Amino acid sequence: MNHSISLKKATVTFDERFTLTNIDWDITANQHWMITGSNGSGKSALAAVLAGMGDITTGQVSGLPENVGLVSFEAQAELIAEELKKDDADIMDVIAIGTPVREMIFDYCSDQNLAEQLVEKFGLSSLLDRAFRKLSTGETRKVMLIRALANQPDLLILDEPFDGLDANTLDMLQEHLASIVNQVPIVMVLNRLDEMPSFITHIAYMDKQGKDQGGLSLIVDRQDTTAFNELHQLLHLKTTELEVPEADSSNQLPKLDPAQPLVRLKDVTIKYEDTIIVDKLNWTIEQGQHWQLSGPNGSGKTGVLSLITGDHPQCYVNDIFVFGFQRGNGESIWQIKQFIGYVSTALQWEYRVSTSCRNVIISGFYDSIGMYSKATDNQKKIANEWLALLGMKDRADSPFNKLSYGDQRLLLIARAMVKHPPLLILDEPCLGLDDLNRQLVLALIEKICQGSETTVLYVNHHAEDQIRGIENYLELVKRQ
Amino acid sequence: MSNNYFNTLPLREQLAQLAKCRFMSMDEFSDGVEALKGKKIVVIGCGAQGLNQGLNLRDSGLDVSYTLRAAAIAEKRQSWKNATENGFVVGTYEELIPTADVVLNLTPDKQHTPVVKEIMPLMKQGACLSYSHGFNIVEEGMQIREDLTVIMVAPKCPGSEVRAEYVRGFGVPTLIAVHEDNDPKGEGLALAKAYAVGTGGHKAGVLMSSFIAEVKSDLMGEQTILCGMLQTGSILCFDKMVEEGIDAGYASKLIQYGWETITEALKYGGVTNMLDRLSNPAKIKAFDLAEELKVIMRPLYNKHQDDIINGTFSRVMMEDWANDDKNLLGWRAETAETNFEKTPAGDVEISEQEFFDNGILMVAMVKAGVELAFETMTAAGIIAESAYYESLHETPLIANTIARKKLYEMNATISDTAEYGCYLYNHACLPLLADFMKDIKTDVIGKGLSETDNGVDNARLIEVNAALRSHPVEAIGAVLRGHMADMKKIV
Repeated sequence: MNHSISLKKATVTFDERFTLTNIDWDITANQHWMITGSNGSGKSALAAVLAGMGDITTGQVSGLPENVGLVSFEAQAELIAEELKKDDADIMDVIAIGTPVREMIFDYCSDQNLAEQLVEKFGLSSLLDRAFRKLSTGETRKVMLIRALANQPDLLILDEPFDGLDANTLDMLQEHLASIVNQVPIVMVLNRLDEMPSFITHIAYMDKQGKDQGGLSLIVDRQDTTAFNELHQLLHLKTTELEVPEADSSNQLPKLDPAQPLVRLKDVTIKYEDTIIVDKLNWTIEQGQHWQLSGPNGSGKTGVLSLITGDHPQCYVNDIFVFGFQRGNGESIWQIKQFIGYVSTALQWEYRVSTSCRNVIISGFYDSIGMYSKATDNQKKIANEWLALLGMKDRADSPFNKLSYGDQRLLLIARAMVKHPPLLILDEPCLGLDDLNRQLVLALIEKICQGSETTVLYVNHHAEDQIRGIENYLELVKRQ
Repeated sequence: MSNNYFNTLPLREQLAQLAKCRFMSMDEFSDGVEALKGKKIVVIGCGAQGLNQGLNLRDSGLDVSYTLRAAAIAEKRQSWKNATENGFVVGTYEELIPTADVVLNLTPDKQHTPVVKEIMPLMKQGACLSYSHGFNIVEEGMQIREDLTVIMVAPKCPGSEVRAEYVRGFGVPTLIAVHEDNDPKGEGLALAKAYAVGTGGHKAGVLMSSFIAEVKSDLMGEQTILCGMLQTGSILCFDKMVEEGIDAGYASKLIQYGWETITEALKYGGVTNMLDRLSNPAKIKAFDLAEELKVIMRPLYNKHQDDIINGTFSRVMMEDWANDDKNLLGWRAETAETNFEKTPAGDVEISEQEFFDNGILMVAMVKAGVELAFETMTAAGIIAESAYYESLHETPLIANTIARKKLYEMNATISDTAEYGCYLYNHACLPLLADFMKDIKTDVIGKGLSETDNGVDNARLIEVNAALRSHPVEAIGAVLRGHMADMKKIV
């Protein structure tokens, strides 16, 4: 392929079943791509666009090659369906045999020699006279592969080619692909990064954009090791079925009265000298009611949050009811904090202690920055489960301050959630994170929202960082 | 005129009081803040200690308000702003002191006598008066009304740290004491323990000490290793580097941030770890220099300790107080005029390791100062735990103030008492080290050892390592640091 394939702001629909939105993508010479992402994010659809499928509704797609070798479950299903149709079309009362494998391969492939070699290698020699439709799924997959490989394609698209292949065939296929990388550009759809062959130069990461919509959200150059490792983690969070680890059963939080709200602020005011930041705000957060709090800088978002958490000294001169306590009646802030999980950029800045990643998570049980008590075995076990969920099992004993900024944030979210607090406050959890880490954090939060009884209070400026499941909004305005 | 309380005691009692120091176990604090629950706590003074301790106590569920002089309230001074902005009730002495069950006197040492004289008549029968430094009782011999309980709770860190550590869910090491002459109801210890819990101190370790041991060790530490040695060392090292042709901006930076960086290593792993940060030849060099420094400076450390024990220091300082701080202000002005103080840190990059490699003499000075202060204090009958906190433990905290704004910031942050002692030390130590400094070259301050100095003798290295590790300050340090897991990084 001498020219490049280019998609510019392309939106492509597939029979109104699925839409790829706003794709910007260039494939140039000497590149081999892997497309990956969660289920339903449009990986196969993107690959199919390269094979000329779908209807381009807006934007441009140019440079698509004529002769594309495509292997996918969809193409396999289609081929089988065609075969069965031939059967239906036969109205004579004879038993249809269907097209033999020999015909399926040799009538199709332009490189007969290669086809012969591959038939040999894939162990299909004894099946050449059998009807294609009589083959097992794995066998039809092999036929598909031979047809794609031996037809001198300008572009090879392999959508989950390794699924359903036995180990020998898999090795053989890998080897063959490695031998042709200089002849043909390859695009592979793979769910797992650890399946990625070494010749892949770039990774396209797809993400869901809504119901039946997907888009290309990240492009990672294989050479960029940091980005590559983060992508690994992101895929882990997105594609593995994981459950949020249990709370510590031996240290349960006091029960809250379900009839009472978690938080009730009545006419609360924050002021410094003569400057009023927040003026007579009323806000009630009921249990199970997820909220998003927004507002410009200086509108008092963090101030209001710290009235709730007890970190703001003016919480003693306001009418605040939190977790069963009317503030200022002899309760300690630790009695309040035990009900709250809290994550913010400021917390991350303050969290500059020399301690291990595991201890950072465990410190969530004690609402402390750093560990000052002996952790129980059960707490350690739960922390390990969280580390596994984050895809950071191997870093349990690494020092927290040596981690990347994004990984630190993930750990702090786990720290906030480890005790399954009735209220989880996420104060701009994506602030200061690059695109990849932002997606990592949002993926984790979504996982938490789905898998626990925690009420989430989410603070942000950015409309695009929305979290599914939040229905209540409070917007603060900046006072002049 | 004041009457030194310590000097009125018989020798037997003096020794017993000096030796009073016990590291308390965590389960002695299982009653939490109960002894102070529902009691009205009134804090006098709203500076760094006053405000931050008050914030902690209130967050621990206690009833805290502030009393200030009427003028401070009327003029809305900073102390008034500190208290009101944080949502505290503020009132005059007349308004609040009579309602108080516990009065926390967190004003500067110098004001203790007038403040205590003014509030004592207003205090409720049987109430408690708490200090965070025993100077007023021990050195000035203040007599407190017999019905009042007198305790001391002294967090061993600046006020901002007291707050920051509490918010982290931790605390700072704290010293508590009961003035036995004033414990009519026998509740002093229970109140002091509850107070330490309220500020979070129990989590970082509490020393049960005496007013006397606290004063005599605190004064010694602050004027020698903590402030005096760092001030003298800064001036000597800077002048030497400039004299040897090192860029003044570099020299200024190496010292300003060097103390903080090298004492961070001290904080984590004691003198041993600080020296372990050096290469083997540099370590031996630093060790030898420190040995030399200890011989030269030992008489000075002894003199400071003697003057503190027999009351000469406080008498001379109080004379200066009475003389409108003539000496203090003069010395303060003099410090501002030193070349180190006047040369801004250069715009050069110095890596963390470079501060060690090029600051061998500074490492040696810290080692010599810490060990001498510790040895002198323990020789005077002060227990190792006290001596550790007043020497090694606090050095990084003071070094941190120099990193912020050099000697000015250090002297502005520490108490007047510490500042006065620091200047005394500095004036005596500069000439004392003049000859020693003549032989000093840039290999130990400014440039680091050259490649050719790279060899070490195995036997000598083993000897040095063993000597480092077996010093008594290291043994007690290992125990006390064990209570401070997950320490926060200063740098």
